[in-house]
Amino acid sequence: MSLSRIERDRNRFRDIVRGRLREDLRRYLSTSELLGRRGERAISIPVPQIELPRLRFGDNNAGGGSGQAAGEAAQGEARAGQGGGQAGEGEGSHLYEVEVELEELARMLGEELELPSIEARGRSQLVTETLRWRGIANQGPASLRHFRRTWRNALRREIASGSYDPHAPRITPLHEDERFRFCKPQSRPQSSAVIFHIMDVSGSMGREQKEIVRIKAFWIDTWLRSQYKNLEVVYIVHDAVAKEVDQDSFFHLRESGGTKISSAYELCLQKIREQYPPEDWNIYPFHYSDGDNWSARDTERCIGLLREELIPRVNQFCYGQVKSAYGSGQFKKDLDGALPGTDRLVTANVNDRDGIREAIRAFLGRGR
Amino acid sequence: MITTHPLDEGLRTDAARIEAAARARGLSFFELVFEMVEPSAVNALCALGGFPLRYPSWRFGMEYDRLEKGRHYGLSKIYELVINNDPVHAYLVSTNSRMEQKLVMAHVCGHADFFANNAWFAPTDRHMLGRMAEHAAWVRDCMERHGQEPVERFLDSILSLDTLLDPFAPLSEHLQARARDEERGSAVERARRSLDAAMAPENSERRTRGARPRVPSHDVLGFLGQRCELEDWQRELIRIVRAEALYFVPQRMTKIMNEGWACLWHSRLLTGGLLEASEIVDFADCHSGATATRPGQLNPYQFGLDLWRHAERRQLDLFRLRRAHHDASWVDELVDEEFAARHPLFAPAFTPEGQAQGGWKTLKDRIVRDLAWAGTPRIELVDDNHKGAGELLLQHHHDGRDLELAAAAEVLKSIAGLWQRRVHLATQEQGQHRVLSSDGSEVRVEREAAA
Repeated sequence: MSLSRIERDRNRFRDIVRGRLREDLRRYLSTSELLGRRGERAISIPVPQIELPRLRFGDNNAGGGSGQAAGEAAQGEARAGQGGGQAGEGEGSHLYEVEVELEELARMLGEELELPSIEARGRSQLVTETLRWRGIANQGPASLRHFRRTWRNALRREIASGSYDPHAPRITPLHEDERFRFCKPQSRPQSSAVIFHIMDVSGSMGREQKEIVRIKAFWIDTWLRSQYKNLEVVYIVHDAVAKEVDQDSFFHLRESGGTKISSAYELCLQKIREQYPPEDWNIYPFHYSDGDNWSARDTERCIGLLREELIPRVNQFCYGQVKSAYGSGQFKKDLDGALPGTDRLVTANVNDRDGIREAIRAFLGRGR
Repeated sequence: MITTHPLDEGLRTDAARIEAAARARGLSFFELVFEMVEPSAVNALCALGGFPLRYPSWRFGMEYDRLEKGRHYGLSKIYELVINNDPVHAYLVSTNSRMEQKLVMAHVCGHADFFANNAWFAPTDRHMLGRMAEHAAWVRDCMERHGQEPVERFLDSILSLDTLLDPFAPLSEHLQARARDEERGSAVERARRSLDAAMAPENSERRTRGARPRVPSHDVLGFLGQRCELEDWQRELIRIVRAEALYFVPQRMTKIMNEGWACLWHSRLLTGGLLEASEIVDFADCHSGATATRPGQLNPYQFGLDLWRHAERRQLDLFRLRRAHHDASWVDELVDEEFAARHPLFAPAFTPEGQAQGGWKTLKDRIVRDLAWAGTPRIELVDDNHKGAGELLLQHHHDGRDLELAAAAEVLKSIAGLWQRRVHLATQEQGQHRVLSSDGSEVRVEREAAA
């Protein structure tokens, strides 16, 4: 099949973008730069100078290494971004945001870390939803306005209110009359997965430790999302007791007090039992802690839960131990000691941001 | 490949009726060819500047990617695409309604008339469809011989110079050539003379390298193409890029007039009896969508249409205006107090704050300034032996708007790389004189006044 010429041009453009991204991927793997940029299906990534330099008018006030808005009207997409925190790029560095689909980003991550694709457990298929243009909504962008529906509503309203005059038929649609085309979800069977992000938020987990967890969770989500069309994420935090939280509190909550890891494992198990039966779901718990548990007895309990209940139900259980100034790091030693050679258990140390890469590779490198 | 289809019976009839109505109302144009394409194909064509065959470039791919995303999310939609060529080619999009197709066809008649009759289009190559395809084949071949990477890199560096042209030169050269031809007599004599000239041995050098370019000149790209030490393929690439850029210049110079003219005519023709009663409301919606504007934003369709209507009210000869002007001269000639007082674009000038800054005249001057020199900074090569050392000195004619210096520095590096000696650019930044100077690898900024 011969690829049309414009598709070849497009591939060339994507190669260039990918090349730039790959150069930067190492940096993204240890910083939180991309975290706020993720949308539903794509992520906008700043790429330096994808546009040709031309002699053009522009404001030079911003100075330094930060990107300036060089608004050429024709370049809708090529919005100049803010280049905060990378003054090292040198003077002429302009940043343009490029939309990259999450799958694309995941593929790059996979190539960079040499990750194998995941073999989904071939159990039952679940139903997911895809979008089709088949609905009408009350709100939407002007480009999708459904003229006839809008006008008909206006006509109906004017007739009802008595302001319609058949001899001078003037209809003025109001905002409330407007109707827009929109995507309606349509069901389709797909394989599904659930991620449990479990984090120790006891006093010893500081800001830096949470940041590392955040970055790691972002990349793990990105990868698994590329492997499963239907992915759900459950966030659990724990100190002495565990609770389920939303994404935002997961990353910002600061609790203090003791640490009882078993409480989190129990909550995770309960969720699996109630909502995510292993027959229908590929299950991935990730637990992050600095390795200090309340007591040796609770650690015993955790090991028991893992061996008897959790590991048999999940695709893989990952424990990432983030180094902190206060943590003893004992928990990983205990796990490794008590459950040696357990296929579906992966433990890893993350000493600092540069260790994120290796930990991700350890977690996702088994294709499970 | 981009596939196009001929029109079906019904649309062919519509096209014939619309064309006949347009010619009856005084429009004149080359033969019109309409082709039907799928939405993704029209995006591809649009990314390629309207031409199905262009040289390979990631920039076309980038534009295509952007347009396709816009279509995917339902945010943008292209109605029409028309090429200045003989015959004129226009693309209709298969997903449009019949009313929309009629609107586009009438709109295209306006553009076609403008291409054929506006003076600034007179020097454009009317066989550009074929020419672009030749260029594409040549570049492709060149990439095979010299490698894709080096050719692409050189092409990119030249493309970033493709605004360094004299937008006004082609017309005056065209008029001079025509005057010469009229002096010289019949076509047969002219043909014999040019054959003699071609056979004469002393002229062969001049023909391949062209006349020695004069300095000062705004045609920096033309100068570089002739005077730099280059490989033959590099020289040819510069020629191609310059020829294609010059072809598009009149469209940039007349954007407002041309779109306004097309809107004026689609509205005159369609409401003059070519629409079914059932199409009127949809037509009005579509038309007002194209001519909608937000405060402070200049929509060329709307602004152009309003200015033409204003000219009509003043009982001016519209056909003469569309022949002689470009956007800057046209706005300068037509915008008066009466127009300004009524037009939303000028509303800010009538606030107390706007009045304090000089009112509508100041705003008009700013619009004219923005449109002059085809919307690009005016850069002139003033010395090709600067400091007696064969260095180039470029002068930016500063009009109150600063250059984006970071981009300018990159461009300067490209020029110095071609010229293989130091190149200087004199400009201003916030009222201070600046001279950028590059040897091809780095850029220095000097702060003293330019000579």
